Amino acid sequence: MKKLNVPLLWLAVTIPLAAGFMQRAGSPPAPSASNSSAATTSKVVAAANMFLATLSDAEKAKGTFAFSSSQRTGWSNLPTGAFQRNGLRFGDLAQQKKDAAFGLLAAALSRDGYQKVMNIMNGDEVLKNSNGGQTGGRQGGRGPAQSRGIQFGRDEYYMALLGTPSTTSPWMIQFGGHHLAINVTVAAGNQVMTPSLPAAQPAKYTLNGQTIRPLGNENDKGFALINALTAAQQKQAILNYEVKDLVLGPGEDGKVIQPEGILVSELNASQQAMLLDLAHEWVGILNDEGAAAKMAEIKANLPRTYFAWSGATKNGGLAYYRIQGPTLVIEYAPQQGDLDHIHTIYRDPTNDYGARLVTQ
Amino acid sequence: MTARALATRLVFVLVCLASPLAVEAHRLDEYLQATRLSVARDRIDLELDLTAGADVASAVFASIDTNHDGRISPAEGEAYAKRVLTSIVCSADGQSLPLTLVDRRFPELNEMKLGTGVIRLRGSAALPALAATGRHQIYYRNAHKPEIGAYLVNALIPTDNRIAIGHQQRDYAQHELMIEYEVRRDPLRSSLWWLLAGVAMAGVLYVTRLSRMPSRVPGNIDCA
Repeated sequence: MKKLNVPLLWLAVTIPLAAGFMQRAGSPPAPSASNSSAATTSKVVAAANMFLATLSDAEKAKGTFAFSSSQRTGWSNLPTGAFQRNGLRFGDLAQQKKDAAFGLLAAALSRDGYQKVMNIMNGDEVLKNSNGGQTGGRQGGRGPAQSRGIQFGRDEYYMALLGTPSTTSPWMIQFGGHHLAINVTVAAGNQVMTPSLPAAQPAKYTLNGQTIRPLGNENDKGFALINALTAAQQKQAILNYEVKDLVLGPGEDGKVIQPEGILVSELNASQQAMLLDLAHEWVGILNDEGAAAKMAEIKANLPRTYFAWSGATKNGGLAYYRIQGPTLVIEYAPQQGDLDHIHTIYRDPTNDYGARLVTQ
Repeated sequence: MTARALATRLVFVLVCLASPLAVEAHRLDEYLQATRLSVARDRIDLELDLTAGADVASAVFASIDTNHDGRISPAEGEAYAKRVLTSIVCSADGQSLPLTLVDRRFPELNEMKLGTGVIRLRGSAALPALAATGRHQIYYRNAHKPEIGAYLVNALIPTDNRIAIGHQQRDYAQHELMIEYEVRRDPLRSSLWWLLAGVAMAGVLYVTRLSRMPSRVPGNIDCA
């Protein structure tokens, strides 16, 4: 009997099999930690331990949770009274403890990101003191929000730690209040800041003679990008329907909607750079090392990323936009026709709460 | 506290007091109705989250709490959920699809009054001709409480990778959504076809090779 040509047969069988199975899409790999990222993780861990060291046993019991507890997904953009947060309320903390908590935030976030958080919190203080917390802007309001148990202001922000601060095991910083939810998961030497929700009301206020727009860059860079598109590109990017709210806001973990708008691969290099700069407004809230790793991932996925716009294209008008890629969802949504009330969301459908790192 | 810090704080408080801003944390006079549609080969799943703004919440609550005892009983909840589903039109390839209520959850009156309580309804509709590969179309329209409604409707990316969503078309207010999608052939079946093709190809190569071999000389020993 003749010898069979085994290598030829092997190829004939395996190549078609591989072709068949290649139709299945794989999930993105978990990022590995760089040296600088590991150094940042050590800094964040040290800041977390410093914060914990200021707390009494009772405060520790109130402000710490198991990493896998339901607290992880129990965040909201709503104010106290409309949503009851767990954790340590800033209004209940002595100044030294507040300072340590802010120190932790400063270690986990970038300088600009930390300032954005402060601007959002200061904005809520403005909200608290404006018109005595009355419902405004529309006829038929139901009276002061505070009389309905709604509380605004810098005291109404909460800090919680999930898991034990560590450079190796996963843990999480959860900080939030009205119009703010920052969720930083630290795992495998990396930091992940999805999902997070930076929002603003008022969208513009004056403090110490300075005009503050907590989400001013998100607004202006969005309008700059849509106006940098050609008419043909705008036709693809602009949705022919209004979007009145976030689609993937709080509570919508794990959901991925069908992307719409223009594929970023159809934008030129300059337009792509503008889109990356826009996305960095959210990504760059996290410390520089964590943000750089995320930006590299977003850049690698640009050919499969979409940009969608709804509403006015002239800055100052009402507009919603969304950037959606394989590992990114960003939404920017003015609320109920109010330019002074903006909600946004930042998600990674593959890595919210560090899912890719934690399952390693 | 230093004099500078005190002055800064004073300026901050004064600015806050002087700021003539409208204050409300969430929507007031609209009834947000957010729908997510999930397409499978045999059915459509529907997630409908309803959030009544603070100014309309009491009226919405009263329309659910029909005996006006301040609570939504299971029967009242079921009746309202079914009422909502009857105001939704859903069809596949032009064929009307009856929606079945799968689950419903209602917030407390207090949460609704704050404008933050979310009514969560889950429905499902069986799809005809479930096995059919090729192009299909789903139409969805929500006409529940249009006088106060604000609508969002989106298709979720199918969990079944044989299904690919194509073009989507909405009306301006997102009352309605038309989804085109394609059901592709089962990748496993495709792989089996590739395997069979591979085996056949190997067979052909083997036969071809045999036919090209020189004829044996009598007396030679086949070592194979």
